[in-house]
Formats: sequence, structure tokens, C-alpha cells
Amino acid sequence: MKTYKICIIGGGIVGSSIAYHLAKFGEKNVAVFEKNYISSGATGRCGGGIRQQWSARMNVRLAMRSVKLFERFKEDTGFDIEYKQGGYLLMAYSDDEAARFEKNVKMQKEEGLEVEILSPKMVKERYPYINTEGIVLATFGPTDGHANPHLANFGYIFAAKRMGVDVYTHTEVEDIDVVNKKVMGIKTTAGYFKCETVVNAAGGWSREVGKMVGIEFPTTSYRHQVFVTEPLEDFFPFMAISFDGNFYMRQTKHGQFIMGMGDPNEKPGVNRDVSFHFEKEMAKKMVKIFPFLENTRIIRHWAGCYNMSPDAQPIIGCSKDVDGFCYAIGFSGHGFMLAPAVGEAIAQKILFGRSEEVEIDYLDMGRFKGKKFEVEGNVV
Amino acid sequence: MERAAVKPQLLVVGGGPAGLTGAIAAAENGVDVLIVDEGLTLGGQLVKQTHKFFGHQGFFASKRGFEIADILKKKVKNLGVSVMLQTTLVGFYDDYAVAYDRENNKTIEIDYDYVLLATGASERFLVFKNNMLPGVYGAGAVQTLMNQYGVLPGEDFLIVGAGNIGLIVAYQIMQAGGNVRAIVEISNKVGGYEVHVNKVKRMGVPILLRHTIVEAIGKERVKGAVIAQVDENYRIIEETKREIVVDTICLAVGLQPSVELANQLKTELVYIPELGGYVPKRDENMRTTVENVFVAGDLAAIEEATSAMAEGYIAGYTIAQDITKKDLSKEIEKYKEELADLRRGPFGEKIRKGLKKMGIIMPEGGYRRERQEDFGPVGKLRAVMECHQNIPCNPCEAVCPTDAIDMGGNINGIPHINYEKCVGCAMCVMKCPGLAIFMVQEFDEYSVVGIPYEFEPLPEKGQKVILMDRDGKEVGEGVVHKIMKNKKEKTHVVFVAMERGLEKTVRHFRLPTPEEEEIVCRCEEVTKKDVERAIEMGFTDFEELRRYLRIGMGPCGGRTCRLLAAGIMARKLGKSIEEISPMTLRPPSIPLPFSAILRGDEK
Amino acid sequence: MIKFAAGGMRLDRRIKSHPILEFEEKGYVTVYFEGIPIKAKEGETIASALIANGFDIFGFTEKGRPRGFFCAIGKCSSCLVVVDDVPNVRACITKVRDGMRVERQVGRGKPTWKEPQ
Repeated sequence: MKTYKICIIGGGIVGSSIAYHLAKFGEKNVAVFEKNYISSGATGRCGGGIRQQWSARMNVRLAMRSVKLFERFKEDTGFDIEYKQGGYLLMAYSDDEAARFEKNVKMQKEEGLEVEILSPKMVKERYPYINTEGIVLATFGPTDGHANPHLANFGYIFAAKRMGVDVYTHTEVEDIDVVNKKVMGIKTTAGYFKCETVVNAAGGWSREVGKMVGIEFPTTSYRHQVFVTEPLEDFFPFMAISFDGNFYMRQTKHGQFIMGMGDPNEKPGVNRDVSFHFEKEMAKKMVKIFPFLENTRIIRHWAGCYNMSPDAQPIIGCSKDVDGFCYAIGFSGHGFMLAPAVGEAIAQKILFGRSEEVEIDYLDMGRFKGKKFEVEGNVV
Repeated sequence: MERAAVKPQLLVVGGGPAGLTGAIAAAENGVDVLIVDEGLTLGGQLVKQTHKFFGHQGFFASKRGFEIADILKKKVKNLGVSVMLQTTLVGFYDDYAVAYDRENNKTIEIDYDYVLLATGASERFLVFKNNMLPGVYGAGAVQTLMNQYGVLPGEDFLIVGAGNIGLIVAYQIMQAGGNVRAIVEISNKVGGYEVHVNKVKRMGVPILLRHTIVEAIGKERVKGAVIAQVDENYRIIEETKREIVVDTICLAVGLQPSVELANQLKTELVYIPELGGYVPKRDENMRTTVENVFVAGDLAAIEEATSAMAEGYIAGYTIAQDITKKDLSKEIEKYKEELADLRRGPFGEKIRKGLKKMGIIMPEGGYRRERQEDFGPVGKLRAVMECHQNIPCNPCEAVCPTDAIDMGGNINGIPHINYEKCVGCAMCVMKCPGLAIFMVQEFDEYSVVGIPYEFEPLPEKGQKVILMDRDGKEVGEGVVHKIMKNKKEKTHVVFVAMERGLEKTVRHFRLPTPEEEEIVCRCEEVTKKDVERAIEMGFTDFEELRRYLRIGMGPCGGRTCRLLAAGIMARKLGKSIEEISPMTLRPPSIPLPFSAILRGDEK
Repeated sequence: MIKFAAGGMRLDRRIKSHPILEFEEKGYVTVYFEGIPIKAKEGETIASALIANGFDIFGFTEKGRPRGFFCAIGKCSSCLVVVDDVPNVRACITKVRDGMRVERQVGRGKPTWKEPQ
């Protein structure tokens, strides 16, 4: 029977980032358990955006730290993840949203983020291919950007493996062995493994894993749909996004436009089917704002899940009730962009007792006891 | 060029290597010379020869043909020799010699005291089906187009004939960017120098002995050829017929001396096959049976440009001696010795035999025949000779700065190298006309071979190349270690690092080309190699492989690549395709324009 | 009906760069082949210009066989073309001239003469 120091449940971007950072900080007796294949979950279905322009301070901090790590990703892991810092253009379509943006920009600047406010005229001047009708105000963060989430996932996994971490794919965790409120080991389809610490990085199944140790995580999965177009010549460097407007879109390195929106009528649960209704809604909305899309063709349409927390901020920490049980879940649609900083922070917390770069105590489960928490507004 | 002095003392017909040296020899001694040449420039066949010549280092060896032409042309100009270009000597009538100036379309009558015929040879034609089809060209003609006019008449060539001309033209076609698909030779051995064969063989060009061309395929232009094996009686073996895809067929099946004018002058012609067919009978000083008529070059016997030049000098000096009564026997002797050296070796055998029939005896032998078996001290950067035939050539010996190379006393000898003196400078590699010298150095983990390279593009340091052995077989991959560029000689030395042990077999390399890539995913241009490498890297799950390589993420939705990629994975992992997940297929099944969705939604 | 070289494509067979030789990009003139203007280099032969532009059929024999370039030195009479109405011109040893009109020669040459004034 093999013994590990730390077992991570979930081989997505968060789980693999945690494994990588643990190994990097010297702890190689780590195993990652992925019940399907690498990049099969939300990681492999997301839009790939890396944004620092959040409304909640914690998100801004984690995002800014992540960007620093993304900038070094190739150097650190050897994998080129097609990272492009072409910026994020946030578009406000109502006075309310515009006012919120201005407030956010003030806070972001306090945090040290480079960001500017643009009038609709300025937007039209810079980006003549955008139809600026209806835009009240926009903000632009030049160090925001995007990358290829698959390659980032593979990058962390391969680097972790090279450093000695064991990675089990197509291996499901069936139960977590807790004795006297202490984690003893895990039961998987590849057998039982003794371990001291288990990390819940199970994304859309975070709640189910929590149940294995008797913890009720307030996370719910909601479907989000995405589609991608045929490639066009490179001309659109940033991610365009609007929260009230409810859309996001970027052009990938391969020339394809990837875009999505949230459906307020979406029922909770893991659902990966796609609806034509989504294509109609997107077509109506996006062609108006980006007229060049009219003659462009959609070639593939899929869906993934946001693991939503009550305040759209991630739930990260180590349980006070079950010794050796930690969690990094509820990323509410921005797990990819926060993964590097989160992986680093929780690895530090597990190994050294506290995180060094970004303070993550606030993100502990405990904040929901108070029922008074800050909701992240910048979510599509 | 000046217009006719219509009463020259010496009329030289043909401004190729033999005619030019004959004119120079006579003009140096005060003779009034007129050269009449058909071409657009002087130089004859030299003008289009891009390869380096063999022979004595002092006698133009290791110089490229067109460089020699330039040297001779300049000398002729400086000596004040009259020249008529684009002018054909059409006839020696009983009253006058008449030339036809094609540019001005008028005839010119010439009165002369002596005539030196240096009219060279013309290419033989060959009988096979559809042999008149455009695209069937003389090998020399293709050489003219490529090297004189800068035009490559096709992309894929078949060369008929493996004599020196066929082999040299094959190499030059590849330098110009063409592909030689095969060389067919009807006899059971190649007629050309081994070093010319090796140059072409190590590039992977198949040389098919006992093969000939049966048919040129095409209605308006060559589209292919049918080749077949022949038996000992040169009869085609039907079952061996096969088609080969080429767009140009070069005939290099021999030359025949252009004896028309010699015949008009009533010199005696004799039929000697070893010399090329009908040739004018002449003595050792190149004088024919008519006292004031001399011959030199390919007209006298099909040989090389170096012997043509020697013969030209001999004829020119003899004529000058006749006219001026000066004693030029020393100069004449010098070139006779030069000629003798050029003909001593095994390739001179045919000429010696032919000349014997005319009563001219040329010496043979007197040179070293033994090869050097010593490969040299392992670990030292040194030159390795692969010049195993006795050919008259010594630039390597002449250029070596430490006198490490010697021919054993005669230029026909096999070169040997003294490894204690060799400093690894690679000068010999760059000078060798046969590209038959290589540099070798063994290190602990790998070896390096320095290969003479005359192609474009030159690879870059660090570039991966595909290693080839002497037969052109691919034997592995190597990395470019260093490049010695020689802008003057244009023979560069590319040092390639390879697995230890391969330094004994690798003698050429090529750059990987996009055409040989096997595409699996057309939309994303993912190759079979990419897929295999990714699997080797650890992407053993089909879905992971897809996400890493983007197979199936393009507009075709995986239709072209899905099964192919799964098949490659199945084979590589030893699984069956059923065990590999088929990927999820998502809508829309064909690319769907936004405009269509909008219109469909209109009420 | 103008026939193009095999494949119907206009080719450019000029060697752009060579490991040993240098070809100047100097003076081009216009030659008309079967009415089509083609780029020819000053000082080159008609045959070279035609082949460079992808035209391999210089004419047809009496029996209708297509024929073209062969020996390059004016000896074989395979490359006969009609130049400015004058037939039986050897394309491989005749230089181009700006404005020259070259036509394929079909069978024997047609006689041409100037009408007496």
C-alpha cells in the first residue's frame, strides 16, 4: 500500500497548480487523482481569459499574483501556453455599471493595477471594428490577457511529474478515510492510499467530495456555454467583456474567436449539452457589437460548468473540523486565471502554515458563517 | 569585338578552350589571329561549367569552368586577337573560306595562311519511343540553359547516360534546385569518374546500371518516362519496364566530333571509336594530313577541357613556329608532357588505345596506385580522403599549407595524407574538384564530420539535419555543429555532429523538407511525427492528445484526422482502436454563419 | 486558341538564387509569343525566354508532332520559330529584341515578302 504525504483530488488547473507548487517547495511525496483525463473538466472548457480587473479586492490580489506567475510559466515549466497580454476591455452598458466600474478602478489602482477609463469615443478610435452604440464607459487593463488552458494544465502536470509527483488519471476517488476527525487515507478505483493531507480541488464535484468528510460546501455547478469560430487573420488582441451586457469574446492565437455568455435561467447541476437558443442569443448580441462576425462561421459549440460560490469568490483554506483536509474550490468561472496564485498560496499554507505572497485567510469557508460577505460583481 | 581582318595569318574556327589557347599561343608570338565563333560569347563549353576542373594545380585545376573562360577571354583580348561572334564558318570552298555573320545577316570571305579547327563536338541523339517530345533535351543543352541563362527547364529529371557529362549535369541540376529522379546507364558500369558518381550517389540519386529509356510519356510535353532493364545484348527485358514521373529527360549518351569542316578541307578522316567516331588523322603536334590545317580539342578526340587546352597550346605554338621560324620547341614540349600526364591513368586508356591506332604512343603508368588504409588517429580533427581512382588531379596536394598530402610523385597518383602534419584546416576539402575529402573528429559522446557543401540554402548552426551514407541512404539525424563558409571557392564545409560511430559512414546530409511531412490534421497542419512525439511525451489519452495538438479543433471538426490520429495512437500504444475514446462530436456539424442564424430568427 | 504549358499555369522558371552562380536582375524586354507579352532578359536567346516563361512547345512538325528545344547550339533544327513573320529561325541561337514577335512554326515556314511600292 503506497503512502503519500498529500493527495490532491482533481487534476484540473487548480489541482495541478497545487501539485506543482508543492513539489517546487520541496514536497514531492504527492499524488494527484483525476477521475477522467487531464483537462476534461472546467479547465478544458473555459474561455482562457486572465483578468485582474475584479470588484473584490481578494480576487484582484490573487489575479495580480497569478499574472506574475503566468508571465514566468514557460520558464518555470518549459511549456509555452500561448500567453498573450493583449488586455481586457470591460464595457459598461448602463449608468449603474459605469458607476461600479469607476469604483472598481479606484480600488484596483490602490492595489497597484495598471488600468484606465475610456469614453465610448476613445473606444471607437482605438478599436474601429467595435460598434460602440450603447456603451456608457469602458475600462482597459493592458496587463490582462489570455492563454491556452489545456497547455497550462499539461504544463503543470508534466512539471509536477518531472519533480516526482505521481499523477493518476482515469482514477476516481470513492471515499476519504477519516478517523477521529483526522484524514488517514483515500479509497480510489486504483486502490487505497494512506496520506496525511487531502486537498479538494474537484471543481464541479467539490460538493460531493466535501460530503466524503462530512463538510457541506455551499458550491453549486451551473452550465455555461461557449463556442468558437473559424480562424481569421490576427487583429483582435484583447478580451472584450461586459457584465450587464453579458458576454465575453477573444481571438485565440490560432485566429479563432471564442465567446460565451451566462444564462440567468440555467438550472443548477453538471450539464454539458448545448442549446441552439444560446447560438441565437449570441448571434443577435455579438454581431451587433462586432459587425465583422456577420460573415464568420461558428464551427464548434460546447459547455462546461462554473462551480459557483455564494459570493462568486473562491473558497480556499484548510478545515478546522477535519484535520488534514484542505480545499480550493468554488472558483465561479475564474479558476483558470487564479490557479497559479491559488496553487502557490495553498501549497505554502499546507507546508509552512501560511501563504507568503497573497493573504488568503479571508477566502476560508468560515466567512459564510457570518452571512455578510462581499459579492464579486464582475462575473459573466 | 572588332570586325574582320579578313586576311589573318591564323584562322581559328571555334572559340572554346582549344581554340582560345591555340589563339593565345600564336598571338603571344606575334601571329595575326582571327577567331570565328558561333556563340554569343567566347568560351565554348567552359562558359556553362560550374564544377571545378581536375588536372595540374598550375594548369587551371580546381578552377570552375566559367572562371577559366574568363581568364582565357581576357588574355585573348589583351593580345589583340580579332574575334567574330555569332558567326559560323560555313565552308571551305575551293576559292575562299566563308563565314556567315548571323547577327548582321551577311557573308564574309576569309583568306588565311593556317587554320586551326577547334569545332568541338555535338551531342548524340538516341532512339526511343516519342523521343521528339518537348522536354527531351540534350544534357549539354540543359546545362546551357541553367548555367548560362539561369533557367531551370523542369523540376524532376531523368538523366540517360552515366558518363561524366550525365553525372555532372545531374549534380548541377540539383544545385539549381531541380530533382534528379534517376540516372540510367545501359552498360554495366558508370563511365564517369568515381568522385562524380559519389557526389550524386550520396545525395540519394539512384544510378540504374543496365537500364535504358524505352519511351517518353506525354502528348505535348514530357510527363514521365518508361525505363527498363536490358540484357547482355542490350535488349530490353519486357517484365522490367516501369514508369517514372519526370518532366524533363536529359540525354547524355555521348558526343561526336564535328568533322564537317575537316572533311571540306580534305583532311583524312579515320574511324576510331575510342576517340569518339570519325576524327581527323593528325600527328603529335596536332597537324592533320593537310600541312596548314591543325585540329585541337573534342574535334580531335572526345576528352576533357584540360586536354583540349593543352592540345590548343601545342597546335598554336607549332603554327607560330612554322610562321615565325622561332624555336618554340620548349613550350611545345611542356604542353606535351602536360598532356601525357593527363592521359597516364586508367581513364586515359581509351585515348591511348585510340591514338595508338594513329601511330601516336602515349605513356601509361608511373603513378601510385595504392590506397591509404589508415583512417587516422581517433580524436584528432583531420582530413579523410575518399579519392580512390587514378585521375590526373592534384589541387589538394598543392593547397595543403603543411604539405601533409602527397600524390606520390605524379598527379595521377592516389593521394595519401600524413596525419602527423595534418592540422585540420579543411583547405583541401574546399579545393577538391571531386568533393572527395571530408573532415572527421571523434569526441567522447559524439562525432563530427565536415562535409563539402555547394547547395542552397546553407543550414544554420544548431539546425537538425538528416544524415545520409555514401549510397544516399538515410541513417539518422544530426545537428549542424559549425559552418566554414568560403565565399571565394563557394565550396563550404558543414560540420555535422552525430552519434559516435556514424563518422565512418555519413558523407552527406539533407535538410528536412515540408513535402515529406505526413499530415494527419489538415486544418491545423499537424504531422504524423507531431502525433507520435506527443504520445512519446506522455499524451497517451486520446482526449489529452487532441487538446495538446489541436487535432479536430479546426473547421473540419475532426473528420479528416480523427480516425487517423486514433489509429496512430492505437499502433503506438499496442491497443485496439476500440479501447481509444472517440472524442465528443459537437454541433454545428458544418460551419454555421452568424448571418444565417440572424436571418433564421427574423420574424 | 492559345495553348499554355502543361497544367495551364504560367510558370516562372528563372533560377532565383544559386550556390555558385550569380544571375543579375537586370534589363528585361518584352517579347510577344503567340500574342502574349512575356518578360525576356536582354541578351538571352528566344529559346531561353520561352522556356523561362513556361512555354515548351515551339512549334509542330509537318506530321503534327509538338517540338521544342533540344541541343541549344543551333545544330538540330528542332527549335524553329517564326520571328516577325520570318520563318525557320533557330530560337536557341537568336537573341531577343524588345518588341519582337515570335510565333510557333507549324510545319514548313510560310513565305513572306514585302509588297513592291
